Amino acid sequence: MKQIQMTKNLSFSLISTNKIIQMNDVWTSYDSKNFALEGINLSIDRGTNYAIVGQSGSGKSTLLKLMNGMMIPSKGTIKIDYVTPDMNNKKFKKMMHTIGYIPQSLGLVKNISVLENIMIGALPRLTTIQSLFKRFPEHEIQEAKRIVSLVGLSGKEDRKAYMLSGGEKRRVAIARALMQKPTILLADEIVSELDHVTAREIMNLIADAQKRMNLTAIMVHHDMQLALEYANRVAVIKEGHKILEIGVEGDTIVDFQTGDLNTEEIMEMYSDDS
Amino acid sequence: MTPKNNIVIGIIIALVVIASYNVDANPLEFVEGLPNLAIVVEEMLLVEPKYIPTALWAMFETIQMAFIGTVVGTVIALPLSMFAARNLNSKFVYAPVRALLAAIRTFPSILWAILFVIMVGLGTFAGVLAVVMYTIGFIAKLQYEAIETIDSDPMDAVSSIGVSKWQLIRYVVIPESASHLLGQILYMFDYNVRQTSILGLVGAGGIGFYIINYIKFFEYGKAAIFMLVVLVTVLFIDWVSVKIRDKYIVKSQHGMEVTVKKI
Repeated sequence: MKQIQMTKNLSFSLISTNKIIQMNDVWTSYDSKNFALEGINLSIDRGTNYAIVGQSGSGKSTLLKLMNGMMIPSKGTIKIDYVTPDMNNKKFKKMMHTIGYIPQSLGLVKNISVLENIMIGALPRLTTIQSLFKRFPEHEIQEAKRIVSLVGLSGKEDRKAYMLSGGEKRRVAIARALMQKPTILLADEIVSELDHVTAREIMNLIADAQKRMNLTAIMVHHDMQLALEYANRVAVIKEGHKILEIGVEGDTIVDFQTGDLNTEEIMEMYSDDS
Repeated sequence: MTPKNNIVIGIIIALVVIASYNVDANPLEFVEGLPNLAIVVEEMLLVEPKYIPTALWAMFETIQMAFIGTVVGTVIALPLSMFAARNLNSKFVYAPVRALLAAIRTFPSILWAILFVIMVGLGTFAGVLAVVMYTIGFIAKLQYEAIETIDSDPMDAVSSIGVSKWQLIRYVVIPESASHLLGQILYMFDYNVRQTSILGLVGAGGIGFYIINYIKFFEYGKAAIFMLVVLVTVLFIDWVSVKIRDKYIVKSQHGMEVTVKKI
């Protein structure tokens, strides 16, 4: 466990113009009365390993769906690389090709092979004929094989997705996202149902890819411990509000936002949540 | 049993009696007619084995008609089902396609057969066309319903990559609905063999043509041979399709251990 030193130090916030994700006073609602998110402000630098922590129903999955354009806010503005995420926006539609999204359910196609599932990530780069007849270009096959070995699935390329274990399925989902040559990787509670050892393996895999490809990874967790271990920054969401945002630098934790509760209280609340 | 239930049961019985009176369905006539059945059965037992080769050939012809009809019908039905699925299209696309499919299904295959006999004349081709139409109507409906019930998670995950609609169909919709499709095709083939067996009644070829003609001329012994061949064939096809289902469908849907072929 990290030795947590609380230092309230706003100057830690690097002044950077390289903001890949900006959310300004974002509200979302499923109906007109109940809001899933209420006035969220987020600003994420390129290349950050960002974690969003919160309990079930806190609105953290909604945040990810806003970032890849699957949901649009009822109020407020969102910019992903200075473009508003919206599936009907042509410019954003092109950006979607390089936003890897791993939902909590993983969204694998269970009746096709591991390799074909991974190839789905390359579909935007293929022509209609190539994709309909599965005539994948040689360099894409090579790339897929490289990623297969990177995620540790060598020898299992031809297995059908439904035959894999929980850990292996997550590796396929990660590989599909990496195949997109992503600039942003969004992952929703990707390790929450795994045992401790497998969870660490999967987290290491993502952290490794994140550093190597200079990805911006935004991962939703309900385990604060895990988030602190891997992320550079952690935001805590409770009942649709961002109640805390901290930076992690080595063993030092830096508070960026002071909410109604003090930071130590919040940290305690979430650290024994696993 | 509550009084309310008694009233409902009483009303149903009353309706059956009234309807029977209206359509002249008299149980006494059934009892009086039983001796006639004995005559038919007696004559049917006078089977003439020398007709067995003809019957087998006619059955083979019938199976081929059903086979062509099932394959061609399915090939036409699949693209139609893609356009009829509500989770893939706007209302302006799926509504007219669904209306067309509903219209096709309205006619039983024997009515299609009559229509095609008028169009292309007596014979097996009219029967094949009738089977094609019937197959289109049903496979397309079963298939668009299967497409609408596929898991939305892979659909959402793959859509979020920004793939085209054709790619989504090729990589998610077809693989995820294929296990249903095999079962549906087997069922349809089974059904079509039985259907085609009676299409001969209106002159659309197949084994039914023999059966209806022998019955017309009161040659029940000959008709019995042909009916027996239909019975055995249908039981056999049913048995085979159960085997195929067990092997391919049950396993893939329940994720049982399956041996993997290395390509």
